[in-house]
Amino acid sequence: MNRTPPLARFAMTIALWTFVFFLAFPLVWLVLTSFKPSAEIMQRGAQLLPDTWTLENYRQALFGERILQTAFNTFRVAVASSLLTLAIATPAAYVLARRPGGVNKPVVGWILISQTFPMILIIVPLFMILSRLGLGNTHLGLVLVYTVWSLPFVLWMLRGYVRNVPVEIEHSAAIDGANHFQIITRVLIPLILPGLVATGLYGFINAWNEFFFALVLVKSPELQTIQVNLARFRGVEGLARWGPLAAGSVLATIPTLILFGFLQKGLVSGLLSGGVKQ
Amino acid sequence: MRTNRSTPVLLALAAAAALLFGSAAAQAPVQLRFVSLAWQEQAIESVTAVVDAWNAQNPDIQVEYQQIDWGSIHDFLITSFETRSVPDVFHYESRAIIDFGGRGYLTELSGVLSEDMLSDVVPGAWESVTDADGNIWGVPFLWESLIVLYNADLFADAGVTPPTIDEPWSWDDMRSAAATLTQDTDGDGQPEVYGAAFGLRAPVNRILNLSVGFGGDFFYQDADGNWEVRVGEAEQQVLRIITEMMFEEGTAFPDSAGLSGPELFPGFFEGRYAMLPGIGVWARQQIVQNAPEGFNWGVLPPLVADTQEQGSATQTLSIPAASPHQEEAAAFIEFLLDTQNMATLAQGDWLFPTRASSFDLPEFQTSEAGWDVATESARHLRLAAFQLVPNYTEVRNRVMTPVLQELFSGRITVEQAAAEIEREGTRTINR
Repeated sequence: MNRTPPLARFAMTIALWTFVFFLAFPLVWLVLTSFKPSAEIMQRGAQLLPDTWTLENYRQALFGERILQTAFNTFRVAVASSLLTLAIATPAAYVLARRPGGVNKPVVGWILISQTFPMILIIVPLFMILSRLGLGNTHLGLVLVYTVWSLPFVLWMLRGYVRNVPVEIEHSAAIDGANHFQIITRVLIPLILPGLVATGLYGFINAWNEFFFALVLVKSPELQTIQVNLARFRGVEGLARWGPLAAGSVLATIPTLILFGFLQKGLVSGLLSGGVKQ
Repeated sequence: MRTNRSTPVLLALAAAAALLFGSAAAQAPVQLRFVSLAWQEQAIESVTAVVDAWNAQNPDIQVEYQQIDWGSIHDFLITSFETRSVPDVFHYESRAIIDFGGRGYLTELSGVLSEDMLSDVVPGAWESVTDADGNIWGVPFLWESLIVLYNADLFADAGVTPPTIDEPWSWDDMRSAAATLTQDTDGDGQPEVYGAAFGLRAPVNRILNLSVGFGGDFFYQDADGNWEVRVGEAEQQVLRIITEMMFEEGTAFPDSAGLSGPELFPGFFEGRYAMLPGIGVWARQQIVQNAPEGFNWGVLPPLVADTQEQGSATQTLSIPAASPHQEEAAAFIEFLLDTQNMATLAQGDWLFPTRASSFDLPEFQTSEAGWDVATESARHLRLAAFQLVPNYTEVRNRVMTPVLQELFSGRITVEQAAAEIEREGTRTINR
């Protein structure tokens, strides 16, 4: 048995903690800044802990800028678009992976090319189409836009997950009498669950962080999303309301952390559930 | 026939519906959408208070307030114009709206505004929103001057007496004072206190506005309307003063090229710099809010070059051409920018109103937070030539910013910078 020497293990632990600290530091800094008074934030020299702790920034973010309402709006839109993306992408990925035909390659090529379109090129026609459908200035319109925006990449990723599932498993299920629908829902989906969680999260984060579509497509203040709301703390010449911005960002992070907490379990269990003995 | 029998019923229903919805529509208030760029808490409170007052007084015309940030407003407006889903009134800046007006996006306002508004807003502000054909594309309501902030304790310690409005400093006086204020207490050749610091990360607008006092316009138009960039002796004055203070005299913080104006505050509060020349008048708010307790500061009167003049852009309110409620929008602007409301908005943003009647109100004459001296600087504002140049933004971003950053990093001389700006600026402007 190959045992790692204690010194090497210690060095690896130190390296790991250093890496964790490196990753966590911006978040820690953000949280602590959110409790600093404005004057302390503007002081020269970095000081991690506030001298004076204050909740004033949270008061401004919560009651002055409708952070909770816009966070809820964003959560609703992000979850809906993520689920809709998966609902469309999963059967499509199955077809692309399992039914190689004449249109398969052009479709895959189109998926890749569509990723290169800059947003600014499509925003005006997109707005026209949504307005004509009565979906301008609605969350449903935004959900559809985010779905279309995430779909190509999610489809591309899921296609890879489906291809990695041995087709023999499906054949076995078919021999046992399962139809296509049952094969997809009872055999394939549990096996590609990690992929579904990963791509679902990708769609969610895409929608959560998106700014430009939300800025242009949604006009009513009560429908605005969190990113557009947070941008309102920024001023001119590099100035910003740093304290309320930090507090708003902390509050905006909470729903995402909760979602990740739940999905992490699904991600791990999905990873463990897909073994094939060859 | 079935069709014939049902027709009168349908017609009656349609008439009833038309009557019902028609009367409902007649009673429904006009909805205006107002996009504002106010972002400081105090400024937002000022704007929303005025909007609330309008809504209370005008039940038939209700205004919905929408705040957009300065970084996104341009894209937001362009897409709004192109999709014709426009706000009815929007807040922006003079240089951009001249361009928007030329593209047909805006309502021309000279025939819409009241005589009171047209005569009370000072002519220099109107110039900033009026194109060569005399079209007015917005109402200028806020403007900014560049001031000199100083640390009163460092002045007292060095025995430097601040100038007065009646006897302002020249640029050379400021240089001499900076030399007196610079202190290298440990004798290592690196001053612990610099006489001055300039925030030069985005230097172009500031340099262009300050150069106006030396008669330096940088952009010149010939009789045929063609523009060219010239960087002669007048244009080189401010560049020369700043670089000599930083690199020859050692009286200005030499690493200013990487710092924006607001990034100078922590050092200013600590007493690292005695003066911040050429900073926006809004900066006083940052001091009031963020300076440590007991920090003694003041505002110096505008420095005298050949004159005390400065260039300045204005912040504006405009009405898109696609707005279906232009008349109501104009009425709202008149209300939002009456004498007292304009003063309230200006105070909220720590800028100056453009109405002469607002400008003379006591709140702008008080010595508190340096308003009286700062207000003096506003009397010397005028339109700088660069605001009329069609593709100025490209010249600024592609030519002037990189060249000036090289200059303020000490990599090239003023003469080299001048030659480069002239050559590449003129080429870019005529592309």
